[in-house]
Amino acid sequence: MSKTTNKRNGKFRTKSISTILYPVLFGVIIVVLWQTQILHKIIGADTFTLPLPGRILGIIQDNVPGIAKNVVATVIVAVGGLILGSLLGYLLAIVATIFPKWGSGGLTIVSAFNAIPIIAIAPILNNLTKDFSKDPNIRSMLAKMLVVMLTCTVSMSINAFRGFNELKPFSEDLMKSYAASKVTVFMKLRIPNSLPYVFTALRVSVPASVISALVSEYFAEYIIGVGRQIRENIVLAQYATAWAYILVACFIGIIMYVILLITEGILLKGRR
Amino acid sequence: MKNLSMKKAITLILVLAMTVTLFAGCGNESSASNEVTPTAAAEATAAAEATSAPAGDESTGAYYAADATAESIVLDAAAKGQVGNWGLGNEYEVQALLSKYGQPTTYLSQAFDMDGFDDDTILLASAMTYNELGLVKNSYDGAYGYGDSVKYIDMNDEGVAMLEDNIFTTKEFAEANPNTVKAFIYASMQGWQYACEHPEEAAEIVYKYGSSVSSDHQAYMASEVKKLVETDMSGATVTNYGNMDESAMQQTLDLAKQYISLDDSQAADALQALTLADIMDASYWEAASASDGTFDAPEKTDVSIQLKWLPQAQFMGYYVALDKGYYTNVGLNVTIVQGGGDIGETTAVYTGQVDFGVTWVSNLIAANAGGMNLVEISQVFQRSGLVLVYKINE
Repeated sequence: MSKTTNKRNGKFRTKSISTILYPVLFGVIIVVLWQTQILHKIIGADTFTLPLPGRILGIIQDNVPGIAKNVVATVIVAVGGLILGSLLGYLLAIVATIFPKWGSGGLTIVSAFNAIPIIAIAPILNNLTKDFSKDPNIRSMLAKMLVVMLTCTVSMSINAFRGFNELKPFSEDLMKSYAASKVTVFMKLRIPNSLPYVFTALRVSVPASVISALVSEYFAEYIIGVGRQIRENIVLAQYATAWAYILVACFIGIIMYVILLITEGILLKGRR
Repeated sequence: MKNLSMKKAITLILVLAMTVTLFAGCGNESSASNEVTPTAAAEATAAAEATSAPAGDESTGAYYAADATAESIVLDAAAKGQVGNWGLGNEYEVQALLSKYGQPTTYLSQAFDMDGFDDDTILLASAMTYNELGLVKNSYDGAYGYGDSVKYIDMNDEGVAMLEDNIFTTKEFAEANPNTVKAFIYASMQGWQYACEHPEEAAEIVYKYGSSVSSDHQAYMASEVKKLVETDMSGATVTNYGNMDESAMQQTLDLAKQYISLDDSQAADALQALTLADIMDASYWEAASASDGTFDAPEKTDVSIQLKWLPQAQFMGYYVALDKGYYTNVGLNVTIVQGGGDIGETTAVYTGQVDFGVTWVSNLIAANAGGMNLVEISQVFQRSGLVLVYKINE
């Protein structure tokens, strides 16, 4: 028994090392090409529209407090919207499972929400939330969160629905043979079964939440956030500063994704 | 069969109901939390009332007295945090005005319509005399019809005006193609002159070339743009179209140095070091205005100009010059490239996608501070078209 787990662990470890090593190596090569301006020659850019990494990092270093303020605003919107949207999606999936006759078809129609472009929905939500608070910071934060919520709801509802219904063969029959009530089946079988599917949904939602938070900031009434800074600086032709904020946005996305993977590793230990 | 389609229909209705309740849920949520905020709101208004003593007559209505001073209005709107601007490089004059009256330079992000002003989330809204101000006052299709129940604070009167629409290119292009540049300025100014003499016809020409707004609004815009082209910051008449007034340019540059804030320390230092010689070169315009219309053969005949915004009478001079054949007369084949939204006219010219561009002087200054090598070759608008509009009690 212990021998087999060791073997599995060893295999897992070499695999994960190579999956981390190769992308990192690729990234390092790109950065080196970029800093030495070979990349500029390849894609025909100049150091103005594509500033050197050293300069970009210098700007980040010079503006830590200002950047931190914007990062906090963006992360609050992304995480808040992600939580709201995921909870709502999970609830929708539960409702759809309770009423299976129209549930699955209904979810397909709900998924049409995913097709609404953020740039169309963001100004509308801005107008709808104007009465929410006297403080423009709070009301535009709500508007941004609702945009993120809409983008995160659908993937969660569809995946959770699959998790509730794609049970192991005969497991439902087994529960029934024990005369388990519907509630028990839900609590003991369906909900645990949905957990891996929840993480599948989150793997889609987490990057999507960051992207939609960045875009929704373009339209928000209150001027704050990494996305807004990217836009302002590009319009003002401050490309080095814009790149600094783009880099920061990338890190937000990557860090949130890594946190998700770690949580998944802990919660689903031994289940996959 | 029939039963099945019935079921499908019922499913559809249920899903619709589900989504509607979903949204209704959001609404309930917001009204519930509204109950929490009144104290904060009350505090805010109390604070506002304390500072708005000069405005005084809150009792007669929610807005401002018809004879209220600019200072009292700015103080009140700033205390309430309800001054609006579009941002994206259009905000410096408003920030200069806020600083003039000792207020913090924060403002609300205003959308490209006047709905925020209409629903009172913005009390003191930015407006261009030739565009948003007309939409607020006039009552044609798409306008808000406020008529004389709104007044405005003019940046020129407040001494915080910055120059706006100009013609610019890169220094390299100007040096390599001097004849093209002179001929282009000459023909463009002919266009502006004709447009200002016949604003109604100019509006029709612009409308013909593709318009983002109604023909009524286009005509209004033409009449207002004429004022900006023919009057300087002090209100004196300007007869030489495209004149580059150094004192107005200097005022623009000084305000830009104060209010353009750049995170990039290298660009911020470059901004402070800029002089007029770094951003403008009057020699091409002087040669063009002294010319009788005959130029040495242009080095480049196919040229393009990037507008700052959608086709509208704000740019009527170029459309008139194109329509009347002024460009062809000087041997140029001109393409007008429309802008809009986040089009970066400075970047478009810098990268060589287009040869000339129309931008605000402050945007050109920011771009040069960032490392571009742009140069203004003519100043079309002689005064600021930006105003802050507010409603008055009736």
